[in-house]
Amino acid sequence: MRLAALLLFLAAPALADTEAVIAEHILPGHAAFAARTQALADAAQADCSPAALDAPYQHAFDSWLGISHLRLGPAEEAGRYQAIAFWPDPRGLTEKTLRRLIADRDPVATDGHYADVSVAARGLFALDHMLHDAGFAGYAKDGYECRLVQAITADLAALAATLDSQWRDRFAETLRTAGQPGNATYLAPREVTQVLFTQLTTALEFDADQRLGLPMGTFDRPRPNRAEARRSHRPLRNVVLSLTALRQLAALLPDAAPEKTLAAFDTAIAEAARLDDPDFAGVDTPQGRFKLESLQNRIRDARAAAIAEIGPALGVSAGFNSADGD
Amino acid sequence: MTTRRGFLATLAAASSWPALSWADAGSPAYLAAAKEPDGGYALFGLSASGKDRFRIPLPARGHAATAHPTAPEAVAFARRPGTFALVIDCFSGLVIQQLDAPRGRHFYGHGAFVNGGDTLCTTENDIETGEGRIGLWSRSKGYARIGEIASGGIGPHDIKALPGNALVIANGGILTHPDSGREKLNIETMRPNLTYLDAEGAIAEQVALDPALHRNSLRHLALGPDGLVACAFQWEGDSAETPPLLALHRRGEALRAVEAPLADRAAMQNYAGSIAIGGSARHVAITSPRGGRVQVYDLNGRLTHTVNRADVCGIGPGASGFVATDGLGGILAIEGEAATPLNHCARAWDNHLIAI
Repeated sequence: MRLAALLLFLAAPALADTEAVIAEHILPGHAAFAARTQALADAAQADCSPAALDAPYQHAFDSWLGISHLRLGPAEEAGRYQAIAFWPDPRGLTEKTLRRLIADRDPVATDGHYADVSVAARGLFALDHMLHDAGFAGYAKDGYECRLVQAITADLAALAATLDSQWRDRFAETLRTAGQPGNATYLAPREVTQVLFTQLTTALEFDADQRLGLPMGTFDRPRPNRAEARRSHRPLRNVVLSLTALRQLAALLPDAAPEKTLAAFDTAIAEAARLDDPDFAGVDTPQGRFKLESLQNRIRDARAAAIAEIGPALGVSAGFNSADGD
Repeated sequence: MTTRRGFLATLAAASSWPALSWADAGSPAYLAAAKEPDGGYALFGLSASGKDRFRIPLPARGHAATAHPTAPEAVAFARRPGTFALVIDCFSGLVIQQLDAPRGRHFYGHGAFVNGGDTLCTTENDIETGEGRIGLWSRSKGYARIGEIASGGIGPHDIKALPGNALVIANGGILTHPDSGREKLNIETMRPNLTYLDAEGAIAEQVALDPALHRNSLRHLALGPDGLVACAFQWEGDSAETPPLLALHRRGEALRAVEAPLADRAAMQNYAGSIAIGGSARHVAITSPRGGRVQVYDLNGRLTHTVNRADVCGIGPGASGFVATDGLGGILAIEGEAATPLNHCARAWDNHLIAI
């Protein structure tokens, strides 16, 4: 810790390659998410049935994993992040809110104001329920649920379009102009380096502690039903896609390729690919749990490698206060 | 410190040492601890516009400080479980006294002055029993330890002086032992509370949140108008839950948890680092360095706006709104919904910004 503290300021290393991160990672990621969610919304207008929407839904969700670690800028404003991805949800608010909308035949689903609905019933996890939960997915093509799915997908596409345009028209420039007068978000270029690095380490922590840790629960009480988007069989897929996106970010951040970090990512991704448990349902058995623990450790290894290798290369460490806790 | 030379000239002519005031120390508006570029730590006095007024080196990472109500004297506390606090003369920049926790006690990082500034009260742990204590120190007797009283709970963290030499204490509920550092030893059974002590040290009132929220550690306090006490929490329970992180209290009423909208609750990452009442006493703000945001509420508990800023933690009253500090070295004024940088320093501001 002392060494890290010294490195934080003493060395004056290169800044992160912000332009490369914007051009090769952030903007294409958001463009893909906007395009795929629009394709999903279009598909829902044509045919709202779960069978017809499975492929475009999975594609849209896949593209979310390309940017879900970017918890800065437009996604962190106006509650957009939670509106896109309301998870974890230990109290089952998504299910409860959707049930209430359906029971009431709430006109909000059809009057074009779906953005006014609770974030629990918006976005990808509302669709995880509507398209893949037996309690919802048997709806008729001309019923309320059909129009509800059309509204959720249209709202999601609108959110994605907002993120995409806000990044292109505004927030990319906010990163580029760090430290210039009028930029109250980033007071120096180094802050952008710090923040981008923090996205990487925090997202790896989220993969290990939440995406894997929540379904793992404790040894005595595994919680497979807490796995992310389990209804649409995405728990493992989300981890793999998240790691893949984070590996790309890790490779772009420093000038020289962070070989040890990338190797640690490759080990984690390869281990995930070998895991024959797409829903993390195996956490109920000691062997299944052991495999998830092992993957969790590989992800933590990747995070430790990034902190040890990319941190010093960029002259940054994990957040001073956010890592403290007091 | 432009006043210093003038003061020394005055002093040379004077026959006795005059009582110093905060004006002699450059009239700082705030105190804040920070980590400096060389890895060391210091306590800074800051003007209302975020400019340095003084810098006093600290031997280790600080947590909070408490300012004497009249004399330019501050007590800086080590980060828990520290066993020392430093009384600093903010005029000379010298440490005038080191307070060592008595055997079997350690500090939790906050303190408050009562009795017109003559008695310093410090939150402490009785290491043997794990019970919270408030240590009492007499300034006029050279900060001699003059006694201690029960805090009314485990893990007392923040403490504020109330009119009539009363105290209000955030008993965070978390049991720790120096042998295991900052490890939390009683998460299953923790039961935080807000305790009011009268001038005799007796419990005048004690309130807590709903037992279902017993893992919500009540840690930091801010005093508002008409006896309002605002409390900031850090959640130690299931990380998937998003409990309230702000509660408001008035004597004789229930402790009222403030329910922010769902998305705003999730964004705080279950952690409020600091709390303050705004300069015009119409708003209360909590910060989350983990969520990178400041949430501003009205005093009825309605979320009015949010400011995003990475690693933000320290917060204090500003002109009418707030001033916030962060681990990236920024000092931001938050007036209305606008956040404006006041200063940017090559240092990482620590948890708290203390208004003088």
